[in-house]
Amino acid sequence: MSDDTGQGKILLPATIKRNAVINIRALLSHPMLTGMSRDQTGIPIPAYFVNDVVVMYGGERVAHFEWTSGISRDPFVGFSLLATKEAPVTVTWKDNKGGIYTQSADIKFSAA
Amino acid sequence: MRDPLSRRTFLKSFALALTALAASSRAAAAASSFGGPDDEPDEDVKKVLREKFGDRPIRKGHLSLDVPDVAPDSREVPLLIESDLPMTASSYVKGIHIVVDHNPDIYLAGFDFTPAIGAATLDTRIKMRRSSHVRIIAETSTGELWTTSRFVYTSLNGCV
Repeated sequence: MSDDTGQGKILLPATIKRNAVINIRALLSHPMLTGMSRDQTGIPIPAYFVNDVVVMYGGERVAHFEWTSGISRDPFVGFSLLATKEAPVTVTWKDNKGGIYTQSADIKFSAA
Repeated sequence: MRDPLSRRTFLKSFALALTALAASSRAAAAASSFGGPDDEPDEDVKKVLREKFGDRPIRKGHLSLDVPDVAPDSREVPLLIESDLPMTASSYVKGIHIVVDHNPDIYLAGFDFTPAIGAATLDTRIKMRRSSHVRIIAETSTGELWTTSRFVYTSLNGCV
């Protein structure tokens, strides 16, 4: 298991125009274990997965995701955002063991 | 006198055309069976849908699901979901739900949106226990439910 669990990354387009719908990609390092597998000695590996994701944009909650362990390891999600203001986008991932991971990226409009 | 060569050429091309026709109809038959079994949900899936959405009708349309027909790695099946439904303050997609018929968790994930998102698109990677229908359900702010589904064959099976 990777020990960089909880490392988040947010990818924004290189150029952003005001009021454009942009694509945001958010990636987190996390094993996303279902709890249905066993280790080599046959002991069940407990479930360990991200189950709650919140996306904030300039202090406003714009999206909320509810996941099960059916989302792949190192969960990736790409979604849209209407870039109305220069403000940070913050993604907060929470897992079933109480882990909370946060990552932000600043939306800045490129000079026309 | 007729040219025997032209007759031969004609026969040859006719035979070729026949072969091509047979091949294409075989391909068509394969393609239709490739869509997988009928996408009518079984009782377990219906139960999950009822728990989530009650008895509201779920109609087909307004959604596109881009997913491989055959997933080389069932631990990472890429999904791309797009919708032509409006995303305005008065009418928007408030949720997109992923349902996989043959997974341990049939209801795989839900994504709640607000109009600030601008477009109901979604891109993610899911796990699949085995070949199954993958269903996407979009719920609008006005309470309408739209769906689309695709049958995905998996090769390497297993949930980690």
